[in-house]
Amino acid sequence: MKNKPPRWATRLLEIFCAPHLLEEIEGDLYERFLRNERFGGTSFARRQYAREVISFLKPFALKRQAREYPSTPLLQPAMIRNYFKTAWRNLLKNRFYSLINMTGLTAGLAVGMLILLWVQDELSFDRFHQKANQIYRLENEVGTGTSKQIWTTTVAPIAEMGKKEVPEIKEALRITDGSLYTLYKYQDKSFAEEEAVFTDPTFFTLFDFGLIKGNPAKPFPDNNSVVLTEKTAKRYFGDAEPIGKAITADGKTTFTVSGIIRNFPKNSSLKGDLFMPISHWFSVIYANRKDGRNQHNDFHEFSYATFFQLQPGVSTTALADKLRNIHLRNKPDDTDLTYLLQALPDMHLYKADGTEGGIETVRMFVIIALLILVIACINYVNLSTARSMLRAKEVSMRKIVGAAKMQLFLQFIVETALLFSLSAFLAIGLMTLLMPFYNELSGKQLVIDFSDSQIWAVIASTIAGTLLASSIYPALLLSSFEPLKALKGKVSARLTDAVFRKILVVTQFTFTVILISGTLIIGNQLDYIHSKELGYDKDHVLSFYMRDLGAHFDAAKTELLKQPGVAGVTRANSNIVSIGMQTGATNWDGKQPGETMMIRPVAVNQDFIPFFKIKVDQGVNFTGAVSDSLHFILNETAVKAARIKNPIGKRFKLWDREGTIIGVVKDFHFASMKSRIEPSIFFYDPNRAGRMFIKTTGQEAPNVIATAKRLWKQYNAEYPFKYDFLDQTFDDLYKTEQRTGTLFTVFATIAIVISCLGLFGLVAYTAQVRTREIGVRKVLGATVPGIIQLLAKDFVKLVLIAIAIAVPVAWYAMDQWLQGFAYRISIEWWMFALAGLLALAIALLTVSFQSIKAAVVNPVKSLRSE
Amino acid sequence: MRRSYLGEFEEVVLLTVAVLAEGAYGVAITDELDRQTGRTVSISAVHAALHRLEEKGMLKSHLGDATAERGGRRKRLFSVTVLGSRTLHDIRAVRQQLWDSISPQGLPVVSL
Repeated sequence: MKNKPPRWATRLLEIFCAPHLLEEIEGDLYERFLRNERFGGTSFARRQYAREVISFLKPFALKRQAREYPSTPLLQPAMIRNYFKTAWRNLLKNRFYSLINMTGLTAGLAVGMLILLWVQDELSFDRFHQKANQIYRLENEVGTGTSKQIWTTTVAPIAEMGKKEVPEIKEALRITDGSLYTLYKYQDKSFAEEEAVFTDPTFFTLFDFGLIKGNPAKPFPDNNSVVLTEKTAKRYFGDAEPIGKAITADGKTTFTVSGIIRNFPKNSSLKGDLFMPISHWFSVIYANRKDGRNQHNDFHEFSYATFFQLQPGVSTTALADKLRNIHLRNKPDDTDLTYLLQALPDMHLYKADGTEGGIETVRMFVIIALLILVIACINYVNLSTARSMLRAKEVSMRKIVGAAKMQLFLQFIVETALLFSLSAFLAIGLMTLLMPFYNELSGKQLVIDFSDSQIWAVIASTIAGTLLASSIYPALLLSSFEPLKALKGKVSARLTDAVFRKILVVTQFTFTVILISGTLIIGNQLDYIHSKELGYDKDHVLSFYMRDLGAHFDAAKTELLKQPGVAGVTRANSNIVSIGMQTGATNWDGKQPGETMMIRPVAVNQDFIPFFKIKVDQGVNFTGAVSDSLHFILNETAVKAARIKNPIGKRFKLWDREGTIIGVVKDFHFASMKSRIEPSIFFYDPNRAGRMFIKTTGQEAPNVIATAKRLWKQYNAEYPFKYDFLDQTFDDLYKTEQRTGTLFTVFATIAIVISCLGLFGLVAYTAQVRTREIGVRKVLGATVPGIIQLLAKDFVKLVLIAIAIAVPVAWYAMDQWLQGFAYRISIEWWMFALAGLLALAIALLTVSFQSIKAAVVNPVKSLRSE
Repeated sequence: MRRSYLGEFEEVVLLTVAVLAEGAYGVAITDELDRQTGRTVSISAVHAALHRLEEKGMLKSHLGDATAERGGRRKRLFSVTVLGSRTLHDIRAVRQQLWDSISPQGLPVVSL
């Protein structure tokens, strides 16, 4: 029996050894191997052989012999010019395929880059601060059991106490956007400011919102200073020097401009127009307080966004515990409160509790971008390898007249690169053109600023990545034809290429089916949200905050009801579409010690419940009598959460208001469908209900708005009239989802179009290759449908396989997405059936066009074709 | 006297090629060295030396016929060139001259 030396060793030798030495060295080693085997056995010989091979790793064996006839250098100018020339000719010669390739690539690249630019923008949020990695936002978790809540605003004293007592905290700052004043005035210009905030002076040193003007060490020289953004300053003062100018707030307090900061970058979560010292805020809200609360001891008011700069490497959980101890020392009954810290850069993409928020969408879009790019690459690879058979003769001729493999490889790379650069060029143009639409769709303000290196990085890496992915395989394949076989026409029998191409087509259609079913499911879920019974009637309801009109509500109501288009008028303290406020200060009979129930209180008048057609399940509505101020109406969830049996007549306490429950209403959705319905409570307090709701009949809406505006001006002469329709507010809740849905549809369509382009090209090629076969078949009596079937069968099979692969993947992915909604549709089989059918139909349509064209050709013509 | 320098191992390899005359190729040279000098040399070292000597012009080579025992691969057969031969002679002459100049008491007696 004859044993062989170790294969790997021989391979290694063949790789490193110079070709002119290889034969003798291999021979010598083999001879020694055979002898060693006789003397010392096979394994000894094999070991020895390997050792000897390795010992040949010496310079003399590695060094290649200079060739007697040196080949043309690869990168000679003449050759490079020739590469471009042949590439260009080839593109022009095959206009049809070049066009298909370029359309697909351009669309894919443009869309891929657009998505990636969006992603890059999302990821860049809040990272521009130098200390971004050390800054954390303080949050508190309150409530027990199912009513647990995270608040991103905290009490005021925790910031200063934390900084004083906890050495890990380097710096602290608070921001509150409480609306102390609404109308700000300078000379004859007045603005109702919504982004006027109060903050600690460290705001300007901790964050990198650079002060352009003003003293960074003392941005607020006194309690009545204000720092403006450039844009805001321009609004008030035009081009005049803003520093030292005085702005009057609500006609009573004057602020002097002491600094100007740059406009906030669009990727900042923190924003504002006017910044005033928080000490001013404290001095106003704690003036003349009888309960003895002040800024240093008020642990009741959770309205301050608190940020800490920590020492590097501090454990946030340990720190949170320390802060909790401080809190409990000052307010022992807040046992259900724990602190949490969230890193500044996470604020935008993660929810307050650290779970995934926007990052989910980012991830989804990265995947979609990659899918689209892959689909575009596959198109290119498929078309060029399929067509490579037609070029086999060209390659062989080139080889025979002396082209080296490497040169051919380069030639094809250049060809791809040329096509790519044309496409990339077009794609960048297309991208710039599409930008406004895209911004509208995505709700961003992206600009292609070509001086921004970040944008170039995204563009360059996308193009380079796709180029690399799609150029190498075809170039390798094309340059590796063996000339003799190719000239004899034997290449087309290469099974592996066809299989590879089939796999690519399957991949492409798998992606397409996933995208189609995703679009269907997202669309269905959005429809479901829109059509789901909300439990109240929000149609044609106009709502606004009354301000001084509130005191004259009854008069205004009478006047409005006289108007023909008005069906009803009511008031409440918050907007029913999204009730913001929440409290844990509740008590009832049967409450466990230590238990808290977070509840959303709504101050209403007696008309509110009938106005919105909220169903009263048990008991009665408020009547408007004086005794109603001691009555409560709960929703079903609140009754369930508090475990109150036979609630009517039971005692309930909200804040310091003690009373009885007189009614229970059916649950209604006062928040996004993403969250479950929470406990809520109505209490009768018309004077606290500062928001007016007017129900109109739709057509009369403009007149009603005009009347409401007139009434507004009567009592709030100086303030601009702002109102919302509830339908609009409701739609805003789902803006992100709506956007995701639209974008998904657009991307899916593009993916389908690109896939079909590829398929179209492939079928066209197949038909071309089989022209004569089709001719012969027709002559022998094949029917046109028979030939169409023949051509389409293969592709249909591939699409079916793709559907089989795509369904489970799409099912899983969409199920994950739906988990984000508390109220969601269940995924049904027909959604996938429809998606599959759609994909199949589109593929068939694409395929049949070419097949029919091939099938109806007169066989006389096709048989004469060569 | 000008001549190219030969290392000790190169000199021994060159001499072995001369000893083997017609049949001097890698394996045979290695074996002969093993037999004559009693030291185990690695085949790669021999090849390296042969290569160097050829570059220096002291050896010439041609490919022999294919043999079955080498898996059909040909041997490279070496023979000493005139330059090689002269260099060997020169070395020998220098050695001889040196030996001749040693006085009888110059070396300690080695009993055989």
